Order: sequence, then structure tokens, then C-alpha cells
Amino acid sequence: MTNEEAKFTLSAFRPNGSDSGDATFCDALRMAGDDPVLGSWFTRSRAHDAAVSDKLRQIAPPPGLKEAILAGARASGPKGRSGRGWGWIAGLAAAAALAIGVFSMKAPVRPGVATTAYASFAINDMVSEKHGGRGDPAGALVARLQTTGARMPGADQIDFEKMRDTGCRTLNFQGHQVLEVCFVRDGSLFHLYMAPRDGAQGAAPAQGPSFVTLAAGAAAIWSDSRFDYAVASTAGVEAIRRLL
Amino acid sequence: MNNEAFAQLVDAHYAPLYRFALSLARNGSDAGDLVQQTFFIWATKGDGIRELSKAKSWLFTTLYREFLRGRRRDSRSSSLEDLPPGEKEPVAEDVDRVSRLDAATVMTALQTVDEAFRAPLTLFYIEDMSYQEIAEALEVPIGTVMSRLSRGKSQLRLALERVESGSSKVLPFPGPKGARAS
Repeated sequence: MTNEEAKFTLSAFRPNGSDSGDATFCDALRMAGDDPVLGSWFTRSRAHDAAVSDKLRQIAPPPGLKEAILAGARASGPKGRSGRGWGWIAGLAAAAALAIGVFSMKAPVRPGVATTAYASFAINDMVSEKHGGRGDPAGALVARLQTTGARMPGADQIDFEKMRDTGCRTLNFQGHQVLEVCFVRDGSLFHLYMAPRDGAQGAAPAQGPSFVTLAAGAAAIWSDSRFDYAVASTAGVEAIRRLL
Repeated sequence: MNNEAFAQLVDAHYAPLYRFALSLARNGSDAGDLVQQTFFIWATKGDGIRELSKAKSWLFTTLYREFLRGRRRDSRSSSLEDLPPGEKEPVAEDVDRVSRLDAATVMTALQTVDEAFRAPLTLFYIEDMSYQEIAEALEVPIGTVMSRLSRGKSQLRLALERVESGSSKVLPFPGPKGARAS
């Protein structure tokens, strides 16, 4: 075994020494003990590994992730999985543990947990401070949205594939693509999310809008024949309501 | 699995799974989605795994599969075929550098390492997995894991150097066409 081969092998040696008894490392470890140059390299390599490991373990998951996982599992065990409509997002149910206030435009009706999950997805993405809407088709949509008094787009105004293929920000939500554009209206920033509805294109009934308020912001959720929409903002429910 | 056992499973693994997902997906939103999706699959399918000792490996494998599945849908993602060689030996200064950097910056540097190297590297650093466990989790041969750890560490050292040297903009490593992971 050459020194280079020993280095190759020792690169897989964990810095905490728990591989000391693994026969794979025996020869390389012996060489590192006998050869000062290789030994010095190994010492530096382990110290570096330990430092990187220590730093990376300091990364904390976002608040609420654990609660969202537990809520999602409760909402979508083996019997609860649905293949239609909002069913594809039932698994997340992320906001089930986080939702503070939920109400509809007309009456205080609590939307389904999947609706809340989609809202939570939108709000959580919004706070990541990423902005979508690249490409000409997306730019044209944003221009319309930024016009005071303009209504939110309908299915006939959205060419999903064209927007996606020309660079509009595309997210993955439970295995489904979601387009996002952001726009400013009356001084407030909004994020609009558009997800093609499963299967029954042209036949699915329109739904909503429903509103979800979380600590980080608010969102409205609604659907038409082809898309599930969410618009999220930190400007509050009333600001979102004025868009619709 | 009852609710209490599931909660314990989540409690034990969601944080390292999130760190793994963050290194792969490179943003917190997608990482959170991946972790939730992984536990969702467990809740609907993985319950069949009765040996909890295998749960950890199952969760990491599933998360990685989900990441790859999502990436295949994304035509803009880089190709695994474009992998440059690693080429930086560790020096004493490297250790000091890591100590000076905060955790988020080290993660940012890790996220610039090529994906094929990044996945085993993250499991090595964050989850303290052995090369055999990494091979099992990622479903690749042991030799491949060792090679990718060696080359990945070299890339990471270069990335950390770039981060600290103030080039600030950490860019993915350029990959010569035709180079392959081994």
C-alpha cells in the first residue's frame, strides 16, 4: 500500500475513532503510525473532519418542522391517503400544528387540512425570501398583477409549461410542480403560487377562497378548473383580500 | 406503529435528516419538504419495517431517493456525469478556517460540492455514518463511497477556502465534460 492509497482509505475513517477496529483501516493506520509525513497528514485530516462535523451539527431545523411532520402523519396515515383533488397535498398538513386563524370569505368555515397545508407551504416559502417570475411570460403576468385593481389570473391566463420552461421559479410540493411569481401591489409584496390540479382538468369545481394566517404571514387559497392557487404575503389578510 | 413510537422516531431523526436534505436541496424550504415527504412515506409504507434499528438507514435512503426523484423532474439540475476530480490536501490552516466560520457558512460551502460527493460527505459528517452505512443508505458500492468521500473532502476544503477568502460568491465547481464519479 502506498501513502496515496493509505490516504484514500483513511479518508473514510471517522474522526471519532469508531472505525479503529475495522480491518479495512488496519494497514493504513499502521502506516500512519510509522510514517511521520502520513501521520501528520492523518492528524490534520481528522482535525478538519471533526471541525466540519461540529459546525454542521449546529444547523438547526426550522421551528415547527417536527410538529408539522407529526401533524402530517396523523392526517395522512395509510387509510387517510386520497388520490383526488387536494389529496396530493394531504401528506404535508404542515400548518395543522401551526395555523392560528382560518376563515373563508363568506363565512367562518375551516378549510380542509390539505388546504391549510398548501397555505403553509406558500407562507413558508415566502419567508425564504426567494423570488420567482423569470422569463417573458412570467414577466407579463407580473406586470398585470402589479396593476392596481387587477384581479388574480384565471386558468386561461396561465400557460404553465411556457412559464416553467422559460425560467419561472418552479417549486416541488409533494411531487407536484408549483410555479411562483412575486409582485408588488400598493406598496406590499405578494407571492402567487400556481399548481396544476390533478387529473380532472376542466371538470374540477372551483373552490375558495379560504384564508390562513400563520405567525409568519397570511395566505389565500382558491382553485379554478385547472389550478390550485395560493397568494401569500406578510401584509396581512386584508391586503390579500383586496387582491381578490 | 403507534403515535408515541412514531413521535420518538421523528424526534430521533428529523434534525439530521433535515441537515442531510439541506445539503442536498440547498434551500430550507425544499429541505423541509423532503423531510416531511420522507416521514409521510414512512407513515404510509415504512411501518412495515419492524426492526427499528434499520429505520435510520431506511429514512436516509428514502430521503435520498425522493431527492433524486425530484431532481430528475428538474431539467435544470446539473448532471452527475460532470464531476471534477478533488485535488486539495488538508493543511493546518484548514482546521483554523473551519473554526472561524459559522455553521451556516460551512453548510453553504458544503452545498457547492458536487452532489455525488455531497451526499456521502454529509452522512459522514452529520450523521457519523461509517462507509458501510453510507453505502447502504445511498445504495452504492463501498468503493464508490470511499472514493467520493476522498474527493468530496478535497472539494469541500477548496470551497471553504473560497468562502473565507471573500470571493463570497460560492459557485458550484465547474465540471469537465465526461468526467465520472467513481
